Amino acid sequence: MNLLALYCTHQTTPLAIRERLAFSSRDRIGRAYAELKNRIPDCESVILSTCNRVEIYLAFPDEDAERTREILSQFLSEFHEIPLEEFSSDLRAAAGPEAIWHLFEVISSLDSMVLGEPQIVNQVRQAYREAEEFGACGPLVHSLFQSAIRVSGRVRSETRLAEGRVSIASVAVGDFAKSIFDQFGDKLVLIVGAGEMAEETLRYLKDEGVREIVVVNRSPDRAERLAKEWGGRAEPWANLDHWLGRADVIVSTTGAEKPIVDVARFRKARAQSGRRPAFILDLGAPRDFESAVGELDDVFLYDIDSLSRTCDENRRARVREIEHARRIVAEEQRRFMEEFHHRASGDVFARLLQDWHAISKEELGRLFNKLPHLTPKDREAIERSVDRIVNKLLHPPLTVLKDEAREGTPHGLINALKRLFRLDG
Amino acid sequence: MIPNVNVVCFLASYCVAFGFDAWRLRARTGWSRLISLVFGAAGLLAHTFYLLLRSNQTQQPPLLSSAHDWLLVLAWLAVLTHLFVSLLDSTIASGIIVWPVVLTLVIGSLFVGAAPQSLDSHRGWAMLHASMLVLGSAAILCGFVLSLLYLWQHRRLKHRQMLKTGMTLPSLERLERYNRWSVLVSVPLLTFGVATGIGLFAFSNVILSWTDPVILGGAFTWLLMCSMFAWLLLGKRPPGRQVALLTAWACGFLLFMMVGLQVLTAALRVPSPHGSQASRHLESTPAADTHAPDTQ
Repeated sequence: MNLLALYCTHQTTPLAIRERLAFSSRDRIGRAYAELKNRIPDCESVILSTCNRVEIYLAFPDEDAERTREILSQFLSEFHEIPLEEFSSDLRAAAGPEAIWHLFEVISSLDSMVLGEPQIVNQVRQAYREAEEFGACGPLVHSLFQSAIRVSGRVRSETRLAEGRVSIASVAVGDFAKSIFDQFGDKLVLIVGAGEMAEETLRYLKDEGVREIVVVNRSPDRAERLAKEWGGRAEPWANLDHWLGRADVIVSTTGAEKPIVDVARFRKARAQSGRRPAFILDLGAPRDFESAVGELDDVFLYDIDSLSRTCDENRRARVREIEHARRIVAEEQRRFMEEFHHRASGDVFARLLQDWHAISKEELGRLFNKLPHLTPKDREAIERSVDRIVNKLLHPPLTVLKDEAREGTPHGLINALKRLFRLDG
Repeated sequence: MIPNVNVVCFLASYCVAFGFDAWRLRARTGWSRLISLVFGAAGLLAHTFYLLLRSNQTQQPPLLSSAHDWLLVLAWLAVLTHLFVSLLDSTIASGIIVWPVVLTLVIGSLFVGAAPQSLDSHRGWAMLHASMLVLGSAAILCGFVLSLLYLWQHRRLKHRQMLKTGMTLPSLERLERYNRWSVLVSVPLLTFGVATGIGLFAFSNVILSWTDPVILGGAFTWLLMCSMFAWLLLGKRPPGRQVALLTAWACGFLLFMMVGLQVLTAALRVPSPHGSQASRHLESTPAADTHAPDTQ
């Protein structure tokens, strides 16, 4: 068997092509597996399709990898009904050890758009599970993906690749808001404006248990839509000061051309707040809150610039871990290849052992017929001696075979053994 | 059989534990936390043996024995609490604040009277008096550590700084809650301790001197804590940072009182029932003479 990975990713292919090549539904994935079996019988495959990558991993009987690549490319073209010329230059292929390396890098999130992001492991697991459900997996693919899952575990536990948050919303909530508030279930979140960043922040806040959300926006329709989506309520723009005074967490993304809240306005709005701390996430550019608001005693004001610095630092820290992660990937790739080659020579090994023991058993049967006076104890002793002779005779060639298998499948030796001992039959 | 340990044994262990905890601020290493924990635990064990040994030698519980033992019991409580919290949360950065306080108490104990006092009559009341005061002081110590952690966290958040080496600080909300509770718990304990102290002096033959700096300082601290108690309970909810600042000052002042005044009375040989001079009429035990400048 050989291995091939055919893929297009966010690094190689524009989104416009990736989305056309994506396997968007379970139904389509099922049909794709059936079609692959049809085109390459005896193959084992896993299709990984996410927003950042479309990849097909294939284990196929020893054939020309280039030919298999052509078949796969053709399959993608015909399955998605896209002319091959439109995307062939965006496709990448890796065969044998390179295919293993690629999968291990993908699952370790070394190839992800956000280095160290955790979702890819679940996406690979999901793809593998689906392949199993559609009966597309075989022993080699099982072994490959189980090794891949182990690699991702090692990279996560032995490196700091996944440490430190790298998106503005996650840093704001995870590193700062959580350092102010112990719990969010009793906190009031005020969203001023209804931008995309506000939605992303709301996702993190919801994960922390936020229940009360108020959206204030100049356009009531957008406020209503956002509030409905996140289980909050929309309030008129005119009530902004009232809610500024009541909120514990304020996320602002208005897109106004100059700050909408200055110190005097904020102080007045908070006069009745009972000196509760306020966490303000100003995602507006230009900023919605005057920077002096952040100098008030129990106000913690964060803008995009201050959070971007933290994100960049965390990203740099993750980049410093790449080499360490790659060492683990290389180690695991070597280990997998050894097992892979071993498996290839293992069949010959087992058949040789089986044949020789069968011959010895046959000959012993004849001997015992000629010597009926032997006691069961004598017979057992003779059987043990003969087994030892067979094992000792086979030991040197099998050791050589094992040693050779560490460097790659020893096709020459395997063929020689097959021919010398007539193992084909 | 209690091993023969002295103050230097656990003082050195605590110094090493502090060193490794401080190192965690500079570099993230799992082993530095482990080493700090191991040295902290070893120090606590030696500390426990030392208190037992002292108790055996003086035939008094450590709380009643001398100012030296009293300070060591307080330090022992602080270390025990810190190690417990560190085991619950491996990332918490409390050691940076707790260890210096512990070291101050232990070093301070070397400069105060170590000779045991005689309180055979009213022993139960004396025990209650000392226990309440040590528990109240432990609560204040706790408040001091919490308020410093609060101020550290507050400053970090205001300056948008990250704790980069994997150490964490509790949230402001939690620190404020615990800090408030530590003040609220300390005042009734101290009040009860002071009341039993007054009762004890009234019914025993020990002469109470209102010019005793330890008593004066203690009374002032008690009044200060009572004012804070009233301010927290009756006043309008103050901002967390203000509470933290006040607690830090009040508790810092108490620490100064506890250690500073004891050292002062010992150095100036001021007669005080809480200092070494009270034990002038008592026989000094050999263990009491092994570690401290003799004030007798």
